[in-house]
Amino acid sequence: MGGKVTCTLGEVKNRADFIVYWGGNPAECHPRHFSKYTLTQKGRFVPEGRKGRTMVLVDIRETPSVRAADLFLQIRPGKDFEVLTTLRALVKNQSVDAARVAETGLTIDQLRDLAGRMKRARFGVLFFGMGVSMTRGKHMNSAAILRLTAELNAFTKFVCMPMRGHGNVTGSDMVLRWTTGYPFGISMARGYPRFNPGEFSTVDLLVRGDNDAALILGADPGATMPQPGIEHLSRIPTIVLDPKVTHTSRLARVHITTAATGISAPGTVYRMDEVPLPLRPALKSPYPTDADVIQRIRQAVAAKPAWTSAPCSA
Amino acid sequence: MLRITGGKVHDPANGIDGVVKDICIADGRIVAEGDGGDRGSGTGTMGGRTIDARGMVVFPGGVDVHTHVAGAALNFARGITPENYRKAIRFTHAPDRRAGLGGITPTTFATGYLYAAMGWTTVNEAAVPILSARHTHEEMHDIPILDKASLVLMANNEIVLDLLEAGEVERARQVVAWLVWAAKAYGVKAVNPGGLVAWKSGKNASTLSAPVEGYRRVTPALIIAALAAIVDDLRLPHPLHLHCNNLGVPGNVATTIETMKTLEGRRAHLAHLQFHAYGGDDWPTLRSEAAALAAHFNTQKNLTADAGAIVFGEAMTITADGPWEHVLSKLTGRKWSNVDVENETGCGIVPYTYKERSLVNAVQWAAGLELLLLIDDPWRIFLTTDHPNGGTFWRYPELIRLLRDADYRRERVKKLPARARERMVLADLDRQYTLSEIAVITSAGPARALGLSRKGHLGPGADADLALYDENPAGGVMFQSPRYVIKGGEVVVEDGEIRAVTEGREFISRPAFDEGVADYLRPLFEKVYTIAFDNYPVEIERLAQPDIHACP
Repeated sequence: MGGKVTCTLGEVKNRADFIVYWGGNPAECHPRHFSKYTLTQKGRFVPEGRKGRTMVLVDIRETPSVRAADLFLQIRPGKDFEVLTTLRALVKNQSVDAARVAETGLTIDQLRDLAGRMKRARFGVLFFGMGVSMTRGKHMNSAAILRLTAELNAFTKFVCMPMRGHGNVTGSDMVLRWTTGYPFGISMARGYPRFNPGEFSTVDLLVRGDNDAALILGADPGATMPQPGIEHLSRIPTIVLDPKVTHTSRLARVHITTAATGISAPGTVYRMDEVPLPLRPALKSPYPTDADVIQRIRQAVAAKPAWTSAPCSA
Repeated sequence: MLRITGGKVHDPANGIDGVVKDICIADGRIVAEGDGGDRGSGTGTMGGRTIDARGMVVFPGGVDVHTHVAGAALNFARGITPENYRKAIRFTHAPDRRAGLGGITPTTFATGYLYAAMGWTTVNEAAVPILSARHTHEEMHDIPILDKASLVLMANNEIVLDLLEAGEVERARQVVAWLVWAAKAYGVKAVNPGGLVAWKSGKNASTLSAPVEGYRRVTPALIIAALAAIVDDLRLPHPLHLHCNNLGVPGNVATTIETMKTLEGRRAHLAHLQFHAYGGDDWPTLRSEAAALAAHFNTQKNLTADAGAIVFGEAMTITADGPWEHVLSKLTGRKWSNVDVENETGCGIVPYTYKERSLVNAVQWAAGLELLLLIDDPWRIFLTTDHPNGGTFWRYPELIRLLRDADYRRERVKKLPARARERMVLADLDRQYTLSEIAVITSAGPARALGLSRKGHLGPGADADLALYDENPAGGVMFQSPRYVIKGGEVVVEDGEIRAVTEGREFISRPAFDEGVADYLRPLFEKVYTIAFDNYPVEIERLAQPDIHACP
């Protein structure tokens, strides 16, 4: 199990005739997604544009994204895994219990129709949001989507992609992978990278109060973390690099104002499909860039004597 | 100034075969004895450090002609296999050294340390999509010590294929040149020509003479011939680097030989030839056709190849050959990843374990060694495992041992399944590589094929990249761990330990093109891509140490 069958967004634009959004509200959260990549663009193999594409939205409630959908399937909260697993069975013509399916909020006929449409698609794509990856079932839901997508390739071309957001989260993921081998949840405490989500991921460290200092870059955990984590951040020396005042900067011991990347500082941003884009600053800033500040901190730390008696080597 | 004295020097490019002679180094280059007195900081051959190399052999630093060490596909593989790093070798951070992990898909810093610790100093990253070339360069920047080159994927680029369909060869050449420079690449790679385009509709291109899905005129054969000609016309230092159609498929030797005929005497480098050397009709009847392939290859002096040998154990298959990876995932049931890249290419990723008791894997293992032994000119076949596809690069010393010792080889063949032994000729081969031949297939040959004139030899003016190995190492296996590795004149490895972490250069090519080609590309690009045209080319300022090869 595992693996991911995906593509860059231009493939969706040029080829996708069947598009599913699951557990997300792109009309409000990724407002340019429909117009730049998935629905209204004319693609090389979808010359009709919107008319050549079918869009299905799966969610637990009606959102403004429903207006853009050809078909809206409303499922009961927390039933994503069951629906996905049923689809996997139906795609392979296995029998399912109609009564159990009804618990998901959808009928077996609705799901049979969806499975049929997926298999008949010329090029299908499934975008999944935090409404499925971060709700009951969490990574099991994501795994079910990855499997369903892979299995559909026995019948047609089908891909999937998580609807990532939050600024350059994909960029952070990419850099950590090439430097440490792991995407997130990494401990360098022993001098080499170790990975254990649930143990080393930020939320778990903060909630348990394991860390005795925090350096925060490009994020506002003071706005999003559980309350015990936020309280821990305000207890320990917290240093924030941010162009503006945030929830986190208000509780931090130190806030270093930096130039806004992409506006007054250069850099690279990764799109959700892992395509890197250069950032060219339009304005000048009196503030240093994040990179400048980190370099200067690093140099100052390097100038200090080692705190261990003998640095170990591999 | 650095002097290496008393070692037996193997410098096949300069006809030196195990002669005891001194090597002098100044300002990062090899200099003639007595020269270098006025260079740099005035350190002449008199004075400076001397390395006593008695009991050692002195080789030019290794050059890997085909490896996958950086880029979006490799980074994707890293992300989906955290389990592999648990058992990987660890590099702990130190004031002068970044941390990292080795294993099947080493992190960038670990890649530099592991190659250098084996005596290799130059690598060629063999598969770069233009759309993510910026990312590849970021990763290569984080590979320390080594000098790097990269090849850009072109045989499924729909803008190029459309031009070939329309018969606009001259414009196709302009576009290829522009794309090479846009990606800041060194050369051109063709993977499964036409197959990736077809794969985007769930199909493949398995017949060289059949039109590619979506085209009427363009066939794999036409793509191969056109790109080989374009690369020659552009005078790129490395010929077309070709991953043939039907990789890994039983009976594919016919396609490979037909590909050679398609080239009609043009230069080309055939990548990972082992994966293209099979007979049989299906998996149960698979056999090695390395002997037939080598016999044909020996007559085609226009070609070079690398082995793509396999080693038993864990590997990671990562290739732009998307349809093949889908087949492999179905064969193995292992996790399958696929990333199609708009208008250009794609890639598939499946972890794989080569098993000695498997009929198929045993035949593959033999085929790689047979090619290395039966291709008679070591200047045209180079040591690779298509890292990490056939096994990891850090296992090259095991393959060198197999090439140098026929008795050991026969012992290993005896352990293979009886059914597999009938489908190979390996046990009948008596050839044993000499030390100088090893220097050819690991350094001098690949450097020459890449057109890197300062690599792969130890004559005056060459980059001072050297590896010094014990002639009779304590552990019994030569090449496992060099005593000294020198990169750009600096001692980077001593007794198996990293001593200095230097920064490597990046080789890129600047073929000639008419600047107006950008005006032709811009509207086409904006129609089918999803990024701005101006964001497509990699800015030269992004490369910390570019070494630009202007094509004459």
